[in-house]
Amino acid sequence: MRKVVFIFLFLFTTSPLAGGDFITEFLNTCVEAKRPVSNVNIGRPMLEKMASNTNDEELKKIFQNLSSIRIITTENKKDAHFYFKKANELIADKFSDYQEVVSVNDRNTKINILMKSKDNKNQDIIFIGLDEDDKLTIINITGKIDFHAISKLSDSLNKEINGEENPSEEEKAKISKQQE
Amino acid sequence: MIKEYEHIHFLLNKYWNCETSLEEEKKLQDFFSQEDIPEDLQPYIPLFRDYKESQHSIRLDDDFEKKLKAAIHQKEKAKQYITIRIFAPVLKIAASIAIIVSLGVGIYFLVNENRKPYFAETYNDPKAALKDATYALEKLSEALRKGEEASKETFDKLKNLNINWAAIDSMGRDMEQEMEIEIEMEIEVEGDTDVDIDRDRETHVNQNL
Repeated sequence: MRKVVFIFLFLFTTSPLAGGDFITEFLNTCVEAKRPVSNVNIGRPMLEKMASNTNDEELKKIFQNLSSIRIITTENKKDAHFYFKKANELIADKFSDYQEVVSVNDRNTKINILMKSKDNKNQDIIFIGLDEDDKLTIINITGKIDFHAISKLSDSLNKEINGEENPSEEEKAKISKQQE
Repeated sequence: MIKEYEHIHFLLNKYWNCETSLEEEKKLQDFFSQEDIPEDLQPYIPLFRDYKESQHSIRLDDDFEKKLKAAIHQKEKAKQYITIRIFAPVLKIAASIAIIVSLGVGIYFLVNENRKPYFAETYNDPKAALKDATYALEKLSEALRKGEEASKETFDKLKNLNINWAAIDSMGRDMEQEMEIEIEMEIEVEGDTDVDIDRDRETHVNQNL
């Protein structure tokens, strides 16, 4: 009887504990203290603020539909290659239920995009990219992801970034008015 | 009178020997409740007069009946509950299973709740976060475009090979038909060999006979 109780207890307690989101799992199991990485987390409240701040309708819609953006980067060449391998091993080991969406294996760049979709509003996307400068980028985006809209984003993003850095004449006038 | 005194003395002696009846005791009480008591008997007055008075003074409370009824009702109510023997083995097992299941369900929901992306926000300012968010989306957008381009290139390359798709299609159909015919033939051949084997067996049996 005691054995049965312990087995039940073990099953109930251990099975739900296994797993978590990719970035957390990667940070917990793969990242070594001697090979530091940069980690950026953007949650839903911040995404909502960003959506209300932007004028671009496409970008606003994307931000509103997302739940989180988590990024890990490293610019150290050796570490980048090491973690790229580790990330793919982790995918094969614990995230094998994710489907491969895009896989690019050029001479200079290596990109894997994997996705798991619980329902229409709950999608989880993992991006693992090693670019020509040997910079590793791992991105985990959750929420309602519109691939079509994201693939057409680059122009909006450039405007958004340039807009922040170089405000237009109208915005400059607004800012100077506010300052006055 | 003297006789009465003698009788009282007699009764008193009996009283001290615990031999008096209730009637005799009543007589003593009545006697001592009188006014003229001889001097030698006066020390016993408080004993019998007080006793009589106290008997008169013992009365039931007005709500005694109510209290009594309530007490009886409570006792009956207590009898209505079925005492469960918690330590009976079946109940013991059921209780432990219930505890484990509730524990498991509790932990499952707790962990599931924790599984939801919870992390410390890196930025407090949305403008600062925008740079990283756009970086992530740009990377993703770029990769998706690269994927699209790669599939387009492959498609174009296939187009440039001037492959006669109609011929391939017809070839495919022909091959399928051939395959079907072959399978049918095989099935027929297998059927024939089975018949031959049966015939051989029959002849073998006949020869033995």
